[in-house]
Amino acid sequence: MNASPKPAPSLLQIAIAFVTIGLTSIGGAAGPFRHVLVVQRRWISEGELAELYGLGQALPGAVTVNVTVLLGPRFGGALGSLVALAGMIVPTMAIAIALSGIATTLAAANARFAAGMIAVTAALAGIFVSNGLRVLAQLWSDAPDVKLAWRCTRIAIGALGVVLVIGLHVIVPLAMIVLVVLSMLVEWRLRTSS
Amino acid sequence: MASAHVLLTLAWHWIVLSLFTVGGGPSILLPQMRQEFVLQYHFLTDRSFTELLAVAQAAPGPNFLIVPLIGFRAASWAGAIVSMVAFLIFPVTITFFAGRLLHQHDNEWTARFRRAFRPVTGGLWIASGIVIASATDHGAAPLGITIGVGVLSLFIDISPMWWCLIAAAVGAALA
Repeated sequence: MNASPKPAPSLLQIAIAFVTIGLTSIGGAAGPFRHVLVVQRRWISEGELAELYGLGQALPGAVTVNVTVLLGPRFGGALGSLVALAGMIVPTMAIAIALSGIATTLAAANARFAAGMIAVTAALAGIFVSNGLRVLAQLWSDAPDVKLAWRCTRIAIGALGVVLVIGLHVIVPLAMIVLVVLSMLVEWRLRTSS
Repeated sequence: MASAHVLLTLAWHWIVLSLFTVGGGPSILLPQMRQEFVLQYHFLTDRSFTELLAVAQAAPGPNFLIVPLIGFRAASWAGAIVSMVAFLIFPVTITFFAGRLLHQHDNEWTARFRRAFRPVTGGLWIASGIVIASATDHGAAPLGITIGVGVLSLFIDISPMWWCLIAAAVGAALA
């Protein structure tokens, strides 16, 4: 049943590994995932993890959750994956809820703390915009072999997303469906035309 | 005491949101979360929504902790647990079965799908940033920080955590 040459780790080992991943994930879980699973425990190779990430991104759900589920066969099946998920989520969820209570109390009592929190969200807004611009810029520079018109079309799909959500107040799921369909058509046309 | 109606509303909306979480994280769905939980159901205010975003960013853990945090604000622990389970149940089930099938086959279509998804992610990320900026308290300081971090992070590639720390220090100093 288990395709890996190594025996599956025990449920306790899995729990400890994923509690560690959860608690050391600050600003993204990709780094801790790789560190614990590939470097420290050697349960999976670098290439396999990259493959699972690719697959996890194409399926619905948060990519960390999907990768954890996809690791199931390595962990002796579904129970191993569930233990891993619980290990990653339950402690961090409890900590985040406790922190949110403390943060709200502090923000109500101290104007500087409140301003600091608002500043963090303001920074996040800036980071999202710059992340989006980066993705679009990469689309432009990654495909020098693709005709100019197609590159412009890809950027236009991105720009249309902003127009739909911000300008026309279209709800995000609907905008997403429209944009993905358009984008798939572009990819399909690209393949058949080249 | 959390009413069954609130819990059902949370469960339904998180299930739908979870199915639209594709291409990595739930960040691009933040405008939709605000639309539903803040503007439509008034489970929380814009102020607490932005506060929770800051907490989710600062706390250790995966990038979807905003889900139980909103659930907790709406209906305490029951709300947090219902939200988290609702957000996980379908993606976990789909990935469990689909992953098994896909893994045995060529990864060609997942690669093509991811490529097709990139312009969508790009555009919706920008939109998400604009919505979060408008949900944040209006004022010169937050606006300046959004624009400043937005422009600087285009050229300086450091972890978002550092930008948030710098912004917190600047924001607190200006208050």
